[in-house]
Amino acid sequence: MSLLQIQKLVAGYGAVDILNGVDIAVEPGKISVIVGPNGAGKSTAMKALFGLAQVREGRVLFQGDDVTRLPADKLVARGIAYVPQERNVFRSLSVRENLEMGAFLKPGDIARRIEAVLALFPPLREKLKQAAGELSGGQRQMVAMGRALMLEPRLLMLDEPTAGLSPLYMDQIFDRIVAINQSGVGVLLVEQNAKQALAIGHLGYVLATGRNRFTDSAANLLANREVAESFLGG
Amino acid sequence: MAALSDFINLYLLPGLVVGCIYALGAIGISLLFGILRFAHFAHGDMMTLGAYLAIIFTASLGWSPYAALPIAVVGTAIVALALDRAFYKPFRRSAGIVTVIASFGVMLMLRSAIQLIWGVDVKTYDIGIRFPMEFGMLKIAPRQVTIVLVTAALVVALHLFLSRTRLGKAMRAVSDDPDLARVSGINVEQVVRWTWIIGAGLAAAGGVFIGIQTKVHPNMGWDLLLPLFAAAVLGGIGRPYGAVAGGLAIGLCQELATYPWFSDQPFVAPGYKPAVAFSVMVIMLIWRPTGLFRGRVF
Amino acid sequence: MDIFSAGFLNYLIALGTMSGIYAVLCLGLNLQWGFAGLFNAGIAAFFAIGAYAAAILTTPESPNHLGGFGLPVVAAWPVAMLLSGALAWAIGRICLKVQGDYLAMATIGIAEVIRLVIKNEEWLTAGTRGISNIARPFEALPTPWNALAFLGLVAALVAGIYWAAERAWASPWGRALRAIRDSDVAAAAIGKDVTQFRLEAFVLGAMVMALAGALSAHYFKFLGTTATEPMMVTFLVWVMLIVGGSGNNRGAILGAALIWVIWSATELLTNRLPGEWITRTSYIRVLLIGLLLQIVLQRFGKGLLPERPPRMIDDRPKSG
Repeated sequence: MSLLQIQKLVAGYGAVDILNGVDIAVEPGKISVIVGPNGAGKSTAMKALFGLAQVREGRVLFQGDDVTRLPADKLVARGIAYVPQERNVFRSLSVRENLEMGAFLKPGDIARRIEAVLALFPPLREKLKQAAGELSGGQRQMVAMGRALMLEPRLLMLDEPTAGLSPLYMDQIFDRIVAINQSGVGVLLVEQNAKQALAIGHLGYVLATGRNRFTDSAANLLANREVAESFLGG
Repeated sequence: MAALSDFINLYLLPGLVVGCIYALGAIGISLLFGILRFAHFAHGDMMTLGAYLAIIFTASLGWSPYAALPIAVVGTAIVALALDRAFYKPFRRSAGIVTVIASFGVMLMLRSAIQLIWGVDVKTYDIGIRFPMEFGMLKIAPRQVTIVLVTAALVVALHLFLSRTRLGKAMRAVSDDPDLARVSGINVEQVVRWTWIIGAGLAAAGGVFIGIQTKVHPNMGWDLLLPLFAAAVLGGIGRPYGAVAGGLAIGLCQELATYPWFSDQPFVAPGYKPAVAFSVMVIMLIWRPTGLFRGRVF
Repeated sequence: MDIFSAGFLNYLIALGTMSGIYAVLCLGLNLQWGFAGLFNAGIAAFFAIGAYAAAILTTPESPNHLGGFGLPVVAAWPVAMLLSGALAWAIGRICLKVQGDYLAMATIGIAEVIRLVIKNEEWLTAGTRGISNIARPFEALPTPWNALAFLGLVAALVAGIYWAAERAWASPWGRALRAIRDSDVAAAAIGKDVTQFRLEAFVLGAMVMALAGALSAHYFKFLGTTATEPMMVTFLVWVMLIVGGSGNNRGAILGAALIWVIWSATELLTNRLPGEWITRTSYIRVLLIGLLLQIVLQRFGKGLLPERPPRMIDDRPKSG
């Protein structure tokens, strides 16, 4: 059984549909990557799942249960964590408080989980008392991912985690995604840096104009000449 | 020296006391704006309600208003939760300004309910006459000391709540970014409930203090609204510590403006005290609409 | 009650006149809220400025207040409207650049300050004693023609403002305002000067409100501090517009008439109650009007006559 199955999803904002019947799956403990040109609706599926875009048709199964239109806190309680692309930290809260907010639903034993996050993102250790809004983009991304990991989710959804980062940070973040995945967390990754993302992924989805264009193993997509020419920048 | 003692006893100290009362009301306006993103027009009437709830116990049971204060706080918080459920919750997903209209309606409903239950006459808590304590040239009434100390204690308690507790931090998180709070799994409705409890509770305490300091009447909520908004704007709306500073500043400005600074006449006629609050608000809106404390985190 | 009696006729004329004055206020508020989405919590300020300006400019000299200008009524009205418009311009310049809630708070403030000035500056307004002997147009005519003629004047003004507001609604100006109201970011993106458009709507609305104030001063022939009463002036007008349908000029007029009839008919009924109950029931009426506002907001958010796109677009032949 897939960890996450998005079936025939039609979703959008206001009266405008962005996704016109999209299928996406994440297998337990694997990484699925969504790539595609700007405006293809890559992020919309995640946003729709968390109620930030409207689901018009289709459904979402998590571990076989229908979770379409569940409120966000229920999704988080089931083990789905989501890191939005922008505004993904509480700017005026300290780094430690950001992590604590990730654990809002399960307040006990926070210290151990913060330690686990710090082990994954060592640069955060000395920033714990600093306001998250004062950090650099890369460090903020670490705080955001750390916050999402605080509830020890089964599925981590990342919306363009490397957008706007320097190459150095970019590599670090991809490296951490692999590390998180190796601890058994399924990952759904939306990325602009398609080649790098497919290189660490298992399943790949190419979306264009709100529909599935190509669906294959990530390795096959990387090898596919048509995909490479049209979507991976040659 | 007589002039200085008058300045302190008749202007500075009363200004401080009024400032404390404004601060208690403005905290709620600021918190509610931060969490629910609307200017709560019925907040002055929450203070009125607190003051009248205390009257039940002072008038019929002969309690001291200080003893009635906790009950007034709890009662007002419960009413606020009920009002939120009935009149504000349906608009959570609508534009904030529709909620402002709803709060405008709640304001009138609260006031007319108070007039219906308690009548329109001015009422006082029967505290009896206590002579002021004299410290050299200072004359301080015991109630002034109590009001300032209790306000300070409440502000410290609020600070500890916001900085140390899980719910307090969640409140700051929701104020920072409601969407992110929701997707992080924070129970936003629970945070909203506690915002009402704290905001309305502090407002009720401020209302009881007004009764202790002077008198209680059904329209006092309306008279309070302007200084409360001015205090919240001055402190940077959405920032409770700013609201405390703003409340104190507005209270002091209003009282000190009536001091005969340049002649033997009051600089501003006492009847125009609310205009002082309005002037401060307008100056802030022109000069720095984000408030004095925009850089601070709350 | 004999429906043909003179008393009942007078009551009907009074009902119509007051409905008309409230309709003018409502049309003014619709310019601000319905057209432009601006929340004005200080309608009383602009109403009072219009009323006091008209009263002071037209009354004979009096030791109680400023006066003796002896202006004819028609000359006083434009001055009253200009004064109110100037105040709205000043407050709008300060508040319209920032978020909507600030305008709401500032308008509460301006209404309070105007109320204080009227109460305290006796040389100007006679304070709580009020201004009396204000002339009413057509009062030289025999009864009931004098009252009927004034009602006609009010009705003509309502019709004129309605006509102008409808034209404005269908004009590019009205379209731009609606675009700004619905999304100021989008409107700014297509090159509209958002603040300027809002300021124009706010000032025009305030001028219409001042005209209502002037009409009311002449109608009652007396003007006191009740003209600044937030309940009767600001709040009731909001209920009228929300119930009638904001964004719809007919809705504004319908709401004004309907709520005023309910308001004054219930007063007529409760006044027959025994003494102590008269005051009590007046609070119950306010409570119920507040509840009515909440119910309409929640269940019928668009009001009795919902906003429609202007006729221009409606009349296009429908394809398909």
